Amino acid sequence: MRGMMMKTLRFSLIAGLMLVMAPAMASASGGGVALKHAEISLDQETIKAGLTVFTDVCMGCHSAKYVTYRNLMDYPEIGLTREEVDDLRGSNSLMEGLKTELAPEDAAESYGVVPPDLSVIARARRGGGDYLYSLLTGYEEDPDGKVEDGNYNHFFPGNRIAMPDPLAWLGHDDDETAELEKQARDVSSFLVFIGDPHQLERKRLGRWVMGFLVLLTFVLWMLKKEVWKDVKKH
Amino acid sequence: MSDKADHSRRNFLYVAAGGLGAVAAGATAVPFIGSMLPAADTLAAAKTEFDTSTVVEGQLVVIQWQGKPVFVVNRTADMLERVKGHDDKLKDPNSEAGEEVQAEWMDSEDKRTFRAIKPEILIVVASCTHLGCIPLFKPTAGQKDWGDSVPSDWAGGWHCPCHGSYYDLSARVVKGSPAPQNLHVMSYEYKTDSIVVIG
Amino acid sequence: MKTGLFKWVDDRTGLEGIIKSQLTEYPVPKNLNYMWNFGSLALLVLVLQILTGIFLVMYYKPDASLTYGGYTVAFDSVERIMRDINFGWLIRYMHAVGASAFFVVVYMHIGRGLYYGSYKGPRELLWIIGVVILLIMQGAAFFGYLLPWGQMSFWGATVITNLFGAVPVLGEYLQQVLRGGFAVGDPTLNRFFSLHYLFPLLLAAIVGGHIHALHVVHSNNPDGVDIDHEKDTIPFHPYYTVKDAFGVGVFLLGYCYFVFFQPEAWGYFIEVDNFVPANNLQTPAHIAPVWYLTPWYTILRTFENKLLGVAMMGASLAILFVLPFLDRSKVRSARYRPVFRQMVILFFISVVVLGYCGHSAPTATLAIVGTIATCVYFGFFLLLPFVHKFEKTKPLPGGE
Repeated sequence: MRGMMMKTLRFSLIAGLMLVMAPAMASASGGGVALKHAEISLDQETIKAGLTVFTDVCMGCHSAKYVTYRNLMDYPEIGLTREEVDDLRGSNSLMEGLKTELAPEDAAESYGVVPPDLSVIARARRGGGDYLYSLLTGYEEDPDGKVEDGNYNHFFPGNRIAMPDPLAWLGHDDDETAELEKQARDVSSFLVFIGDPHQLERKRLGRWVMGFLVLLTFVLWMLKKEVWKDVKKH
Repeated sequence: MSDKADHSRRNFLYVAAGGLGAVAAGATAVPFIGSMLPAADTLAAAKTEFDTSTVVEGQLVVIQWQGKPVFVVNRTADMLERVKGHDDKLKDPNSEAGEEVQAEWMDSEDKRTFRAIKPEILIVVASCTHLGCIPLFKPTAGQKDWGDSVPSDWAGGWHCPCHGSYYDLSARVVKGSPAPQNLHVMSYEYKTDSIVVIG
Repeated sequence: MKTGLFKWVDDRTGLEGIIKSQLTEYPVPKNLNYMWNFGSLALLVLVLQILTGIFLVMYYKPDASLTYGGYTVAFDSVERIMRDINFGWLIRYMHAVGASAFFVVVYMHIGRGLYYGSYKGPRELLWIIGVVILLIMQGAAFFGYLLPWGQMSFWGATVITNLFGAVPVLGEYLQQVLRGGFAVGDPTLNRFFSLHYLFPLLLAAIVGGHIHALHVVHSNNPDGVDIDHEKDTIPFHPYYTVKDAFGVGVFLLGYCYFVFFQPEAWGYFIEVDNFVPANNLQTPAHIAPVWYLTPWYTILRTFENKLLGVAMMGASLAILFVLPFLDRSKVRSARYRPVFRQMVILFFISVVVLGYCGHSAPTATLAIVGTIATCVYFGFFLLLPFVHKFEKTKPLPGGE
């Protein structure tokens, strides 16, 4: 009996340790600079502000093809009206995804790479929303003076990034930094949301499921103990 | 602890566990069956726009709506006349049989006779209510154009090639046909004089 | 009416007798601990995977044709499941978390078998069937991972199919048969899809055989001793039905936590690079198989020679088959075998270390660590035939 307790204790200790180490290990293997912490928020105000940054700035070069104009109305977290969506989409059908006007060939010529689609970018980069925020606020002068301004980024692996500072006009002076940080945070929150649009619903449902399972497991535990009284008697 | 007390406790726990387990099983079934219902993007394709001015007088076109074929007919004055006067030959002249053969816009006797918001433009689902074939459009009266595939008192309408059902020019099913109902209508509205939004 | 119907079926199949002898009245040792719950959990996860898999297949399209933005029809279909299909996100996450849950449960199950000597006679064939199950699981997981057609899908498949090229004489031919072309592409995707559907169904059949083999020789127990059927067994129902049900409850707590709150598990269950569409002209900076295949990946990388690496990786799995015949001790359970106990614990640690190395980027230090862990791994098996000669076992309970 005691032996089993010790074993179970040892096992849960190791398992617990591994579970705690897991996120640390996950980020450790990514390597690179420590990221800034972004105050990612998935409230409607932030997401809507982020959508504005996305359509005004990012869509100049990037698409988000898995997000349709219809989604902008139907996702309660975005909740645009039919009129607002009609304004945005112009002659595009409601079922069309958000697509940039910039042709891939022209982009490759101007920037050297084709700007990636941003639908799942928050899930495709280690650090997610924190990475996106750090990147957008991480443009600086190359200390070695080799890379031209606008293409040197503190957080991009290798520092030399093909995307020129998209929020460059917001500058990095003290008064404009607040606005820069806000827009970076808003668009990062938007991108985190569209990467996994059902995440809020998922967590909501999850709380009910976990609550129910705690109850169910407790009842099953009581039942097990009750039934096994027969055996323990011998 | 007496045996009786133990057993009632045990039974209670069995029932509690069984009940909660049944709830869990039922709750688990919901997302799986739910996933088989039409998806968000499938449902979004529920409305179709169409410009009726592209249909010439007397012409029938077939368009798609929700993946189904739909007849749009620009009926001439003569066709509209031939729709009247044979109610006794029809199974359901006033489209009362069920939800699918009537719509909210069918609010007058005329609307029930012509089965359209604008009487010239008839819009019906092109699926025979028997087993789903697309009926053949035979608009002219008599047997001159159609031989004996149509009865001698044929006033114009549709004839289904699969099992021989007949519909009049308002797509109402004729008595003696295997088809049980008139061709189905759906809710639609005119956005402009000629552009109609179906669904 | 129910009794009448049941009797009608029973008269024609003997169903009642089967249910009684194999389930409700089936005799089980009464001293089993919770390590014996993992078999039923493995069966549960298999059913979950097949169920979620069938529903995913209603919408998934195995087509590597390019679509807008550098994506593919396959990748698009997965995103459609996540965004547009009712509860599609839930079914997808259940399947992805379930794959990892399957291996967690099965590794615990195997660990139990190793520690308590469940592989020893008369359960050698039961163990061997289990190793077959492990291999088929690994195959199914490998095929399944290609399906989303992300960067990790594509490059993982490229690396592993390249391994087969190392086989002498037949290598090139094997590669072409696996890939259906000169490189991983649409033909590969389609056949992996077919095999990913097939393997779990094979599993279902083989698991049936596994359970049948168990029922002939009956369960081992934590003391590893042969038990008196009359005195020391209890019927499976209600004792182990309620205990297994409780185990399912605990399992579901962990499983649903991940499904609803951490489905990607920080990149361990769904890797970050797999959200980047597959690009055959650019390898991701860091290729690693999913965590449950990492120990064998390390063994492969330990050897510089490609053929030797493949051979040793194969050997590390093949040696599991002969385990019952390597261990000559008459005592089964590690509880009463002080030397074996240290060895098997070291073995477990070596597997964890091998897994950690396989997941991390290769460095000089990790290469050394990996080599040591590989030696411990094989050392365990190679030392086993000699242990019984010098090990002083503790006295077994019941004065045997």
